[in-house]
Amino acid sequence: MAQLTEPVRSSGARHSSAAPRRARRRLRVGGAGKQQNGGPIAYAFLIIATLVSLFPLYWTVVAASHTDTDIVTPPTPLLPGSHLIDNLKIVWDQVDMTTALINSTIVAGTVAFSTVLFATLAGFAFAKLEFRGRNALLTVVVATMTVPPQLTVIPLYQIITKAGWVGHLQSVILPSLVAAFGVFFMRQFLAEALPIELVEAARVDGAHSLRIIWHVVFPIARPAMAVLGMLVFVQSWNDFFWPFIALSQQNPTVQVALAGVGAGNHSIDHAVVVCAALVSTLPLLLVFAVLGRQIVSGITAGAVKS
Amino acid sequence: MTPTCRAARTLSRTPPNPYGKDALVATSVRATSDGSPPSSRPAPSTSRRGDPGAPGGWRTRLYRFDTKASPYAYIAPFFLVFAAFGLFPLIYTGWLSLHNVQLGESGSGSWVGFDNYTNLWDNQFFWKALRNTFTLGVISTVPQLLMALGLAHLLNFKLRGRGFFRVAILAPYATSIAAAALVFVQLFNPDYGMINQLLGHFGVDGIRWDSSKWPAQIAISSIVTWRWTGYNALIYLAAMQAVPADLYEAAALDGASRWRQFISVTIPSIRPTIFFTIIVSTIGATQLFGEPLIYGGGVGPTGGTDHQYQTLSLYMYDKGWQVGQLGQASAVAWVMLLILLLIGAVQLLFVRSNRRKLGG
Amino acid sequence: MRTSGRTRKAAVIAVAGLATCATLITGCSSSDNNGSKGGKSSSSEQITLHIGDFNEFGYNDKTGAKLFSEYEALHPNIKIVEDNVTDGQQYWDSLKLHLQQNSGLDDIQAIEVGYIAEAIQPALASKFLDFKTVKGFSADDWVSYKEKQATTASGQVIGVGTDIGPTAICYRSDFFKQAGLPTDPDQVAALWNGDWSKFVQVGEQFKAKAPSGVAFTDSAGGLFNAVLSSQPTQYSDQDGKLVYDSSPGVKTAWDLSAQAVKEGLTAKLQQFDSNNTWSAAFKTGKFATVACPSWMVGLVQTNSGPANKGKWDIAQPPQAGNWGGSFLAVTKASKHPAEAAALAQWLTGAAQEVKIFQKFGNIPSNKGGLSDPAVQNTTNDYFGAPGKPAPTGKIFATTAQSIQPAPIGPDDGTVKDIITKNGLLDMEQRGTSADKAWSNVKAQVKDKIGE
Repeated sequence: MAQLTEPVRSSGARHSSAAPRRARRRLRVGGAGKQQNGGPIAYAFLIIATLVSLFPLYWTVVAASHTDTDIVTPPTPLLPGSHLIDNLKIVWDQVDMTTALINSTIVAGTVAFSTVLFATLAGFAFAKLEFRGRNALLTVVVATMTVPPQLTVIPLYQIITKAGWVGHLQSVILPSLVAAFGVFFMRQFLAEALPIELVEAARVDGAHSLRIIWHVVFPIARPAMAVLGMLVFVQSWNDFFWPFIALSQQNPTVQVALAGVGAGNHSIDHAVVVCAALVSTLPLLLVFAVLGRQIVSGITAGAVKS
Repeated sequence: MTPTCRAARTLSRTPPNPYGKDALVATSVRATSDGSPPSSRPAPSTSRRGDPGAPGGWRTRLYRFDTKASPYAYIAPFFLVFAAFGLFPLIYTGWLSLHNVQLGESGSGSWVGFDNYTNLWDNQFFWKALRNTFTLGVISTVPQLLMALGLAHLLNFKLRGRGFFRVAILAPYATSIAAAALVFVQLFNPDYGMINQLLGHFGVDGIRWDSSKWPAQIAISSIVTWRWTGYNALIYLAAMQAVPADLYEAAALDGASRWRQFISVTIPSIRPTIFFTIIVSTIGATQLFGEPLIYGGGVGPTGGTDHQYQTLSLYMYDKGWQVGQLGQASAVAWVMLLILLLIGAVQLLFVRSNRRKLGG
Repeated sequence: MRTSGRTRKAAVIAVAGLATCATLITGCSSSDNNGSKGGKSSSSEQITLHIGDFNEFGYNDKTGAKLFSEYEALHPNIKIVEDNVTDGQQYWDSLKLHLQQNSGLDDIQAIEVGYIAEAIQPALASKFLDFKTVKGFSADDWVSYKEKQATTASGQVIGVGTDIGPTAICYRSDFFKQAGLPTDPDQVAALWNGDWSKFVQVGEQFKAKAPSGVAFTDSAGGLFNAVLSSQPTQYSDQDGKLVYDSSPGVKTAWDLSAQAVKEGLTAKLQQFDSNNTWSAAFKTGKFATVACPSWMVGLVQTNSGPANKGKWDIAQPPQAGNWGGSFLAVTKASKHPAEAAALAQWLTGAAQEVKIFQKFGNIPSNKGGLSDPAVQNTTNDYFGAPGKPAPTGKIFATTAQSIQPAPIGPDDGTVKDIITKNGLLDMEQRGTSADKAWSNVKAQVKDKIGE
């Protein structure tokens, strides 16, 4: 990522520095450093944790492919059934799931991107820059996390009504553009992970603070940014209460659409609900696959230090 | 900025610290950031620290402006968003808490002063909710964070398929609450649930996970733990990856075991992140809402027939949404806020008194 | 959802730095079509009417009785869009906030009978159109108590009635036979005719010779609701003031339910619980009776499954009561109130309610629909003996005719939840004594409502 737009370095320098870096990277990964090999016990624990973590996801697939009666009556089925297509059809009949998936991608994508960006900037400022009122403002950031969300939706709805955003995606995007959680997270990460000397050294070289952020902060923060991006994307994707109030089935996010799924005659069809939930979870796994690659030990640190 | 600048200038003369990380890091950045040795740019750095009015001052002024103003620019987006969407709701909720006002009613109802707060003092349901919030908070966060730390440590090893493991443990966080709820209520079903069947083999019979206080709280905390352990583990993992390998190498040279390295290198190095997760988990536990609501199902926000697991958030939601007593609900919200700020202050004091530099 | 003027504001937002995403926002919102139109409407103008409802009202074209497309064919200038939420509580919670802020409202909003008393309070009623001002409206078109429930103290009628929930008793004739009780619906009804306490006595008889593991009825809460729905005084008095503590109806229902719990006649289940123990118990045969509002018939059928076909039957209840049903209200925020009111009236007209009945079994509240032969002559062969399908139409229509209206109040739903979920269920699940449970109920009502 850094190679693309480093303005300072000449192209010749870029090429000359890239090769040894790759060599060093290999060395580090293969070397005896912190990349210790995991023993059988590590595998055992991780396999258990994975099974426990994945079971409900697996069961989502099972439930989504049965009928409601199958899944609510014991014995509970443990293998996938044959009703997946039927259930999917009902989901798409009941709500506009296509729009919902597009909308949620827009919302969660925008929110995750802007949160990671702004939280990294603010986290860097709070962690490594000196300015008047720093500690007081950081305290304010943390304090804002303590506001219970179930009530603030009422005045928030007043705001978006005044702004005329009811039913539109900006009503769910704008209030979430950057969360205190992210700022605090990046601040705590950078406080330890980013050696101040690195910043100072870049300053000595005359680097503007934006350039420092691009060349020093971002590379170091990459695993944390990826983790934050994943967490925020999922959180935004799964956010229900506020989008449900601000949007409607005409222009829903996935979770809003889920609220309109599964109605039977005075009952709820759990199989259809879970089927819709499965549809809503698949894009998240895709995001995990993409962002998860950024969380690769050693390489990031090695790249900066090479 | 001056003191730190000076520190940087003297860096090259300072002997490397025991781990040698600073020296390594500082020199390497100079090399990467413009591909030339630091000595090739002596002019800006002298003038920067010399007479500000000297020729070449625009650069100095720019530099000054950068150091003075840019931090504010970087934190501005957060505060702008908060001012636009967070501040008014906060103040408005406080204002409502001093009124008797119904949901659906236009206007802000009638002024009642601090009655909504004083009434809470004698309110058995409020105290019950407060106690439940505390016990649920403790039994759901403490094991969760310890397990997350252990998992992160394991995930930081060189493993086959570690990418898969890392993503897999985040699956609970991504799994839809509806599906998870269906799974958990069935696991904990007192009549035919798998957990009671399993316990039956050990001679423990018929635990009422739905109605007995502690079993219900344990069931709920297991949902919380299941959902959030992987989440915290990934946060720890990100921090662990930034721990310089040299630290481990040095420790290994000293003959420290892996466990010893974990305790004396990993944990101290990610202290700010641990502090972060403690703060966030405390807040999350105090605001615990979704899990008990879902677990309660039809009983909904009363948290069990006898309020066995009604948390403060559920109590507030029950008052504000189900019954529409916005004033009283707002008072609960503000009490929660004050409790959290109090806990935060205590945590901070504790940290300071231990003279741990958790904040970096 | 109406969006007039909002597209412009959205454009401003786009300029303000979120160009791509805001353009996508407006692009994706399908509700702009009436946003650009003016407030005036002529008969030739294309109008989109939004109808907000919950669970299954059965109007739509994909899963329902296709009433929307039928209406659209009759009125080519009108397009109907449904805004459906599965959970009625979620629907109502957000609707209250939308009403308060006058935003995010649909032209027509459905209101469940449990919330109608709240909706006719001045704060919310002022947001709804008065049907008395609507051409062709006559409250007498619906059963007597239906429109009365939607009428405010000042005489404004805020909604038109969709369905009602006359309540009968569904029972397992095979279990009754094993317990030495009659199985014919008329004979069964005769056992408890006129008095709910006889119903509990039948329970005692049943218990004496019951098949093992089978309780007489599913839940104390279900019994309480059924008993109370047949009482002339319920939670509130004529002025909508809460009188549950002194109401003879509540006392009767509570005492009978508490007695049933104490004597072990209930299966200690919670209706509509989240872990599906209740719905599973239909299939596994954990109880012999369940109070059956008309809409419950379908649930009994699906929950019990085809294997139990012919084992259930339906009998007249001890006393007639109503449990459930809804209204359609037109919001003043609607830009096309006349067209919306016309649609609401049409949907609740006799012919349309009969079509819904035929598809879903919802009993019409419209008198014309209720007396329609298509309703009266309906039978259900899942219930009853072989070759003798249960005359569900007749049973429910008869019950519907004899229901006496009872005054309702805005806090009824809250008190009902506390009594059934925190009072009776607590007795069933935790063995709390009736006296203690009742004092718990009173403490919780005091905490929530302040009375």
